[in-house]
Amino acid sequence: MSKVLSLNKSIYLIIALALLIFPFVSDSRTWTILLTQIFIFAILAMSYDLLLGYTGIVSFGHAMFFGIGAYSTGIVLDTFGPTLLFFVLSIAIGFILAAVVSFFVGILTLRLKSHYFAMLTLALSGLFLVAAEKWRSLTFGNDGFTFRAPEIFQDRLVFYLLSLGCLIAVFIFLKRFVSSPMGHVLISVRENENRTASLGFKTLHYKVIASVVAGVFASLAGSLYAVSLRFVNTSVMTMDITLDALLMTIIGGVGTLVGPILGAGVIELAQHYLSGLARDYPIFERWIILFGILYIVAVIFFPRGIVGGIQSIYARLTGKKVKVAGPMKKSVVKS
Amino acid sequence: MELLINLLINGLATGMLIFLLAAGLTLIFGLMSVLNFAHGGLFVWGAFAAVWMYATTGSFILAILGAVVTGVILGFVTEKLIITPVYGNHVQQILITLGFMLVLTEMIKVVFGPNQLAAKVPPYLAGSWEVGDVILIKYRMFIILIGFVVFGIIQFILKRTKIGLIVRAGVLNKEMVQALGNNIKQVFLFTFIAGAALAALGGALMAPYSGVVYAEMGLEFGILAFIVVVIGGMGSLPGSLMAAILVGLAGSFMAYYVPALSLAVNMILMALVLIFRPQGLFAAKG
Amino acid sequence: MTDLLEMRDVHTYIGEYHILQGVNFTAPKGQVSVLLGRNGAGKTTTLKTIMGLHPSKSGSILFEGNPIEKLPTHKIAQSGLGYVPEDQGIFATLTVEENIRVAMRDQSEATAERVDYVLKLFPDLKKFWKKDGGNLSGGQKQMLSMARAFVQDSRLLLIDEPSKGLAPVVIGKVIEAIHELKKQSTIVLVEQNFRMASLVGDTFTLIDDGRTVHTGEMGYLVENEEMKRKYLGIG
Repeated sequence: MSKVLSLNKSIYLIIALALLIFPFVSDSRTWTILLTQIFIFAILAMSYDLLLGYTGIVSFGHAMFFGIGAYSTGIVLDTFGPTLLFFVLSIAIGFILAAVVSFFVGILTLRLKSHYFAMLTLALSGLFLVAAEKWRSLTFGNDGFTFRAPEIFQDRLVFYLLSLGCLIAVFIFLKRFVSSPMGHVLISVRENENRTASLGFKTLHYKVIASVVAGVFASLAGSLYAVSLRFVNTSVMTMDITLDALLMTIIGGVGTLVGPILGAGVIELAQHYLSGLARDYPIFERWIILFGILYIVAVIFFPRGIVGGIQSIYARLTGKKVKVAGPMKKSVVKS
Repeated sequence: MELLINLLINGLATGMLIFLLAAGLTLIFGLMSVLNFAHGGLFVWGAFAAVWMYATTGSFILAILGAVVTGVILGFVTEKLIITPVYGNHVQQILITLGFMLVLTEMIKVVFGPNQLAAKVPPYLAGSWEVGDVILIKYRMFIILIGFVVFGIIQFILKRTKIGLIVRAGVLNKEMVQALGNNIKQVFLFTFIAGAALAALGGALMAPYSGVVYAEMGLEFGILAFIVVVIGGMGSLPGSLMAAILVGLAGSFMAYYVPALSLAVNMILMALVLIFRPQGLFAAKG
Repeated sequence: MTDLLEMRDVHTYIGEYHILQGVNFTAPKGQVSVLLGRNGAGKTTTLKTIMGLHPSKSGSILFEGNPIEKLPTHKIAQSGLGYVPEDQGIFATLTVEENIRVAMRDQSEATAERVDYVLKLFPDLKKFWKKDGGNLSGGQKQMLSMARAFVQDSRLLLIDEPSKGLAPVVIGKVIEAIHELKKQSTIVLVEQNFRMASLVGDTFTLIDDGRTVHTGEMGYLVENEEMKRKYLGIG
């Protein structure tokens, strides 16, 4: 087991190093921007995986936290000036807002069935979107506003490294988090909430904590996203963002943390190439249909995504039995 | 007075449209504990099918029929392809129906083009009646009428037919219904298709009411329908009707008197219900 | 052919738990067969497995010589089995009449006759015909549940602990009802109350830890103190 772990660890290390070196050997601006984008969405997708993959909570309002981060950063930098200090401050503000919102949403609905949480988050994020559209004095609505980022981020390379750094930090943090005693409780909540509760754990506390941590990291992704574009409009609050996080997590592999990163890469790259193709073949403008179908097929047939698939192939090759678990496991229906 | 009546009619008409959407949602949930996030997609397909049929044939009745048929076909396909494979797993159900919603919405753009379409009220339902000082807009009255008629028909089916009896019994105890020799899957398919047809009918009626149809309206109305189902109590049909009217009226009055709050009012209503009475105001079962 | 129902080496899992670990059981036609055993031995699961509510993983279940273990629950019921669950499974907000109608297979003369028969057998049901099932007393709910199971043209009734939670007087009525129903139908009974089991049962089958361990004439068990002590904790 420890050998496998160290194998995994060295693979991660090699990939991280390769990504670190990449911008110094390649001067492709397109690739630097694309990879930066992938890092940011990987953070978002991982935060989503903490909810879906590790705690078994389905949220349809993750865009709300992404949007909170994006607007916090955009508005703070635009109002107080593009300095590094205000950038850090804006991230902190995003954290606090996201934590407060996710805390209250969690307290309100996590004691109820999964349906309610999915529904309430969907409705609430709809409300945030409308608020962003209507509160024009602050957000400039759908037109959005541009703002200046701190000088140092003018260099794409610096921002690339910052995003990569954030990705690695969040990955390590979440990896530790899910293998901590707290993480084990979350997983057992996912597997069997009643049993966990009967063991004396206040499952609501743990679910709320997961929801707050996920909200905070989604906000971080939003902050980085806003700076990468130096522009914010209501699109950061839309369902599309939540769907992106969902697609990346499901296609990459729920409950793995690596899966969402991989998923972010696959989706962003495919999006990039397919929208390129759309210039010649208009049908590819609707590339999202392809993803939708892929997603549905994945939910039915490959509920553990790419990473799950690789794991079971690896297990078959080495003759080891892989533990099949996760939120997509068929459960006994009780009415 | 005139204003009050107008706001009332507005609210009722909107409420009825939401009810058509919520009716299927609540029955499907009550019977099978399936929360269908693709329900709004059936609504928007009904809307586009009706607009297209009306533009092609010039007959409003054919347009409505076309929408209902579209709903029936999509309902059948959705149940067989999307719901059945993940039956019994709530997380998968929630995830997959949302994915299907995405596909349905995008397919609208492929089939009908990415732009919004204008929808017209048929001439015989256009205009208004004047009763004293009060102006009653015909089409809104028509929607309210249809809403009550549909509610009456569903209630009749639930109370007076065998399949309605099985649906009501199934909401209470699925296992027992099967152990008494009834094929609940078949009943579920029937209910799902009926719910889809109602959603499509709602879309078809909505189109001339709002004047335009666009792909994203499915999600918008889907959210309203969810709010209604939560407020009314999942599984309760009369609850959905009451809650839909409540949400419709609240929206209409708030939009006039406190426009800033009009968007939040539904959310606040739902939050209050979730805090104080999570089983809904008119719950079918505890 | 005298065995209406026959189970051969049936295994059932619920989730990851191996509940039935080899159940062999026969219900002779026209008799009352009683399943006995401690709490959690697998008696209720045996009935649910027969009904397809907890489908078996292996083994065979024959009803009138036909395999039913792969059929969905409603097909099993339609082939002639009636089920009275432990909690009676009454549809609380449906009237007595509607509860019965859920079980009625068709509008035929034969079905109408069966309804008439159960209403004669349980006059209380006729009295509360238009009342909600949830408002009935415990004994009446038991009657309704048995009536409902019988009405659907069943030749075999599976009855799970009909005496549970009932007053002794009411238990007497249930025993009478079972004696009466026995004239029309074969009965498999799960019962904790040994006195009742010995009064209505023709044969017994002991289940212990998900396995059938003994079967025979009821009179034999009544006399056999050691067996009662070992498997039922009484005597």
